[in-house]
Amino acid sequence: MKISLNINNQKYDCQIEPDETLLNLLRKLGFKSVKKGCDTATCGVCTVLLNENPILSCSYLAVRADGKNITTVEGLGKKADAIIDAIVNEGADQCGFCGPALILTVYALQKELKNPTMEDVNRYLAGNLCRCSGYEGQLRGIKKFLGVK
Amino acid sequence: MKKAVKKFDARPKLNGSWKFLDDYSYENMIFGQLFYSTCHHGIIKNIIFPKNFDLNEFTIISAKNILGKNIVPEPVCDQPFMAEKEVMHFGQIILGIAHSDKKTLRDFVENIKVKYEKLSAIIDPKECLDNERNHFGKEILINHSNNEKNTGNYHKNIYYTQHQEQAYLEPQGAIAIYDETKKTMFVRVTAQCPFFVKSGVETIMGNAINEAIIETSEGIGGAFGGKEDFPNLLAGITSLLAYKSGKPVKIVLTRNDDIQITTKRHPSRIEIETWTNPLTQKIEKCNIDYRLDAGAFQTLSPVVMARGVLHVGGSYAIPNIKIRGRLFKSNTPSNGAFRGFGVPQALAAMEAHIDQIAIDLKIDPYLFRKVNLFKIGDEFPTTQKITENNLIDCLERVIKNSNYLSKKKEFAEWNKDNSNKKGIGISVGFHGGGFTGNGEKVLKSELKIIIEKNANVKIFVANTDMGQGAHTTLSQMFYETINHPKEKCRVQLPNTSKTPNSGPTVASRTIYIIGNLLQKLAREIQKKLNFENLESYVATHQNEFPREFRKVYIPDKSIVFDENNYVGMAYKDYSWAACVNEIYFHADTYKLEIIKSWNVFDIGKVVNQKIAEGQAEGGILQALAYANSEFFYKKKFGRVRNFTDYTLPTTLDVPEIDVEFIHTDNKIAKGLGEIPMDFPAPAVRNAFLNATGIFVDEYPLTPENIFNIIRSKNEN
Repeated sequence: MKISLNINNQKYDCQIEPDETLLNLLRKLGFKSVKKGCDTATCGVCTVLLNENPILSCSYLAVRADGKNITTVEGLGKKADAIIDAIVNEGADQCGFCGPALILTVYALQKELKNPTMEDVNRYLAGNLCRCSGYEGQLRGIKKFLGVK
Repeated sequence: MKKAVKKFDARPKLNGSWKFLDDYSYENMIFGQLFYSTCHHGIIKNIIFPKNFDLNEFTIISAKNILGKNIVPEPVCDQPFMAEKEVMHFGQIILGIAHSDKKTLRDFVENIKVKYEKLSAIIDPKECLDNERNHFGKEILINHSNNEKNTGNYHKNIYYTQHQEQAYLEPQGAIAIYDETKKTMFVRVTAQCPFFVKSGVETIMGNAINEAIIETSEGIGGAFGGKEDFPNLLAGITSLLAYKSGKPVKIVLTRNDDIQITTKRHPSRIEIETWTNPLTQKIEKCNIDYRLDAGAFQTLSPVVMARGVLHVGGSYAIPNIKIRGRLFKSNTPSNGAFRGFGVPQALAAMEAHIDQIAIDLKIDPYLFRKVNLFKIGDEFPTTQKITENNLIDCLERVIKNSNYLSKKKEFAEWNKDNSNKKGIGISVGFHGGGFTGNGEKVLKSELKIIIEKNANVKIFVANTDMGQGAHTTLSQMFYETINHPKEKCRVQLPNTSKTPNSGPTVASRTIYIIGNLLQKLAREIQKKLNFENLESYVATHQNEFPREFRKVYIPDKSIVFDENNYVGMAYKDYSWAACVNEIYFHADTYKLEIIKSWNVFDIGKVVNQKIAEGQAEGGILQALAYANSEFFYKKKFGRVRNFTDYTLPTTLDVPEIDVEFIHTDNKIAKGLGEIPMDFPAPAVRNAFLNATGIFVDEYPLTPENIFNIIRSKNEN
């Protein structure tokens, strides 16, 4: 079947299988920053923004994305820089497999929540697993970036 | 101590441009999948392929197609790449299958049926470890005892720990490409130890190839020991599929497959009996029976056991100590390497035991530790002398940082009036750096650097960067030694045809052995070429470059270890650490909440403060989760298949973690990789004991387990 969607502000007309996931489609189209970690919507490494909201692309059928706007970390471009800097400055990134998804989720968090507390931040990021860092460094960086007191 | 050095790969990892295994693609590449046993133990009677598929489209391999040997090279060579007639565990690989279309391949593999003649199987760790008949046969004995008399107060208990999954977020994967002209097999893999993988591929391929060339993917999405030996097996089967199909083959495991068939941390059963002198409050004598469930095959388990028995005596000066170490057999996938390598189990037992003794003797666990901790001149059970008091310094510092003594009093008062409880607990630990005993002598690790005409320095080591920042730190150790610009120094992607064998990326050895060796080489080059500034030297001596330098690691002559009797220097340098955990027990939900974890380390010189903090924090959270949430096989629970059932800590579960490094003026950077996983877990249990007075002899302290313990206590 055919669908048409915007990925990072560019239109794509795609031939897809009815049971194809958005994750599979995006990776096939070359958006390799979107990772496959669990296939059960639990680890968060496949996060993308759908009309600005974070979703887990491994459990989202590509057909549902027809006509929608998808943003991957490649599409954030310079808008990601400040978030990336915040995490790099804390030396918080380790293996990096969860990194792009984290950047997208923090970007969405910043847009969605005004003056969040650390509890709000922890709640918002609870779907993005990281096995390396213990979250400590990431959260220090994100706290500074968001100006959480 | 340099604080400002950032990881060279952090930005590309975060912006998504860093390549992981599944991001690589090759022309004509097809996909592979593993078909594995769903029977715990049985004889394969027949294999039925699904109808409605054209078998000619598939490349299918079994043990019969192996061109070399059907034995994965390991310290004990007892595990086949693929099962022949008998399957020994759920998850044992029976077939490798490849096809050009992933979906067709998955449908085909999911519908293969096998008829088994089922045989008896042991999948419960306790059932395995409680029964002496499951013992594999060989054992380690350490006897540091002159006194056969049992006098004083007697304390005995048996401690259990569970499986733990490494849970690297990037699943296992390999891509194999056969070059028919050169008769070489190129394998790109997400793995810790490229030379182990080389050996695996060359074993399965036999004379069919001249050489296996292994190169890691640019990014290795976490490993924690889980990518130490399983990649050998996976790369071997992928290579055989590539050879048979004549096309590049990629296998990336799904999470369900990865969790169910790869190695885990060994479950343990550790029995400790101790005699103490009630007057001096000193431990006089101790007997330890250290058992690990190795799974269906022994593979590298003897090495895990060796490290385990060398740490299970704990951090205490015990004049008479006997330790017996044994491996037990079950019908679960062979257990393997996981950060800590037998030490988290050892300390889970000993550090809980110490608190139990303290309670028996009616003395605070802190004061009891103070009396019994190693001091200069004391001996390890192997007779190795203690040469520094840094462990006591760690303990004193963490007691101060956490305000342990006043909190303990305060909580005792608070607990009197509340059904919820507050608790505080201590644990201490140590970790020997590098390979055990004579391991580093046997390895003869070699590294190489090339200085180019533009003064760029390329560093070639086989040690991988799986997120721990090794390549940033190694290059930092080189350029800081000779004041060379940071951007002119880079560790190359490990490739077995270009990189000398500097050994595996394990055993907290990368910075401690390879980093310190690299620094020595830097100093030697500076002395030999007699330069103050390498860039100026290269500019004025262009005809000498590019130039290659190599160095082999030769262990200190003082390291003498008798592997038959376990006597001598097991490790030259030890890292030390101490932890205090504060917990809050919710009496209504049985939830144990970790409020804060204070940790003090002596890892010697800290090369990169941020990277070291990150290593410590990540390892501490793994350890805390080991104590209170993660488990794998459990009776009446069903199979754990994904992160839906294997619950990793999230941002909502992370307590405040405080990390401090002391004695950083040491010239040597000691091991850091594993120690954060070793010691903080027992302080969770000890804090629970302090809060509730309930002694728990096994991990994890999930609400269900705590509920059952309290219920059975009430029933009794």
